[in-house]
Amino acid sequence: MSALAPNRIARLRLDRWAIALVLVAIYLVGLVLSPSAFGNPVYLLNTVRQVTPVGIAAIGVTMVMIIGGVDLSVGAVISMTVVLSAALMDGAASNMPLAIAVACCAGILMGAINGALIAFSRVSPFILTLGTGIALIGLTQMFTGGTARGAVAPGFREVFNARLGGTLPVLALFLLGLTAVGLVIEKRTLLGRHLFLLGSNAQAARLAGLPVRGITIAAYTLSGLFAALAGLALLARSGVSSTQAGQGMEFQVLAAVVLGGTTFEGGRGGIIGTVIGVLVLGLAFNLVNVMGLPYHAQLVVMGAIIIAASALYGQLGGAGN
Amino acid sequence: MKLTKRLFTSSLGALAVAALVSAPACAQSVDALREAKASEIVDTAPFVKEGPYRVGVSAGYLSNSWVIFALQQLRWEASKHDVEEIIVTDAAFNPAKQISDIEDLLRQDIDLLIYWPVDDASVEDVLARAIADGVPTVQAGGGFTASDSTVANAYISQWKLGEMVARQLVKDMGGEGKVVAMLPIAGTVAAVEQLAALETVLADHPGIELAAVEYGDWNRAKAKQITENLLQRFPRIDGVFSPAGQMSIGMAEAFDEAGRLSEVTFSPGDEFNGWLKWVAQHGQGGAVTFPTKAGSVALQVGLDILQGNEVKRGLAVASEYIAPTDIGDYADMDAPDDWWATDLPAEFLPQQ
Repeated sequence: MSALAPNRIARLRLDRWAIALVLVAIYLVGLVLSPSAFGNPVYLLNTVRQVTPVGIAAIGVTMVMIIGGVDLSVGAVISMTVVLSAALMDGAASNMPLAIAVACCAGILMGAINGALIAFSRVSPFILTLGTGIALIGLTQMFTGGTARGAVAPGFREVFNARLGGTLPVLALFLLGLTAVGLVIEKRTLLGRHLFLLGSNAQAARLAGLPVRGITIAAYTLSGLFAALAGLALLARSGVSSTQAGQGMEFQVLAAVVLGGTTFEGGRGGIIGTVIGVLVLGLAFNLVNVMGLPYHAQLVVMGAIIIAASALYGQLGGAGN
Repeated sequence: MKLTKRLFTSSLGALAVAALVSAPACAQSVDALREAKASEIVDTAPFVKEGPYRVGVSAGYLSNSWVIFALQQLRWEASKHDVEEIIVTDAAFNPAKQISDIEDLLRQDIDLLIYWPVDDASVEDVLARAIADGVPTVQAGGGFTASDSTVANAYISQWKLGEMVARQLVKDMGGEGKVVAMLPIAGTVAAVEQLAALETVLADHPGIELAAVEYGDWNRAKAKQITENLLQRFPRIDGVFSPAGQMSIGMAEAFDEAGRLSEVTFSPGDEFNGWLKWVAQHGQGGAVTFPTKAGSVALQVGLDILQGNEVKRGLAVASEYIAPTDIGDYADMDAPDDWWATDLPAEFLPQQ
């Protein structure tokens, strides 16, 4: 025991911080290749603002993946939230609280439906959330008739896109705040502990009398809520009131979550890793872009960075084994 | 606009794309070849029928505001003619489903098939079967399809559009300065033709440097993110070539947030309402249209075939330049961004 303990501790620490080392490595490469960008706090904080919608959605999906599930409907929930909130705002500031509340409730409802269907049936989360996502895209199209409806309320974008002190973007603070909320849930609540227990061994969790269905519904409900908040962030960031605003975003989210160390098997990973994974992807994109590489070379380098990051993470994470 | 243009214009042949990639001059010649092919007269005799007509519309996708407006244009046009029914199917970007959709439409005894493809090659066989059954096929709104399976096209030339946008930008910049280009999805005909047109125009204006070519995927948020990086890379950017209004707004926001909006001249975008509103507010840029009336033109062409009138293989739906001073007639300041300038009567407008 005493001989194994240091190795075990080393492995746990490397597991936890490997992705952070990857982030630092990409940052240092950026600093060398483009010091004017990567040495500029305004630019770096803007990168955080850019990744905020993906980052928020990824926090919710992390909770689902910790229990061994997956949520492919987040892109559709984001699109729905964008359209629904813009339609309810209808260009009037007085409608903003209602629009935000309804959008969040819609996300919660979609998440709860996903969770309940998964908890009370034997359908795989992959298929089920793919199905609900497709259905939701259809419902959003039916609601809008194919074109966007409504308009963003004055003040909504201005507030979220402001920079405190001319440097710190409010949207980045929004991501930071929601990361803190996610961490509190993960680290400080009974639900957080139950998520890991269920993900580590579902059978044992059942035998131990854990409310497995309740935990599953709670995890997916949180994923729905965070996806709705991501939709609001996207609306604030880009002003896009489009039925396809969140299209494909689920894959960016999954990439970030997995890169951050949360596995499809469940039981491991966490929100800190996910947020760092989101930042790794954001920095990598900006790095190849700001270097001025031709588009196709950007794709090659971006792909190589993701593979290298993943391999490095695997090496560092497994170093203590 | 996003995927609309990509998929609408993907109907150009692979040969044309390969030629376009090789050189702008070649792209120009491909455009000329396309025009020559488009001017061929179609044999309408096998398709002549008495009305009323039943029209099948096989949409590659309907989840897009431009397509919705084009479809409403088609419905409006149908209301003026002896058309008893329009049956619309949505393939939702699924090539296999589009084949099934067209087969289903043929089983419903349609007289005319109007389509826009998810993938040209995948529908070629089923379109040939439609023609064999005496149903003429008309491709709506995208690039020109030279295949024998397509009787006629109502097409929009991305080359012409790109050239008009480039020439206006050069003029507005006074022939001097550094330009960045924001194009749609890399490799699509829209992106290839627009870039080729830009390079051709710039070849005549050595005072303008094309500093960067980026691909924003018809995505406003992505265009904004890329532009934020361009602003970091280049201490000065004098001009922006961005024919898609959806991406132009994202770029303009990035310039504005960086406090550098005053240094740059924007090219015309299209008639995406969010862009038109921006032009109305800022008095620059203007628009070169990607006309939604391609839907009504496609129906007119189809009805001409059914009535045995003389029809060309391709009818170009011409883009038009709208100056910033005239933009007020087109921008709807109360409508959402994702809306299109249109002459549709109220009863045919999409829901808002």
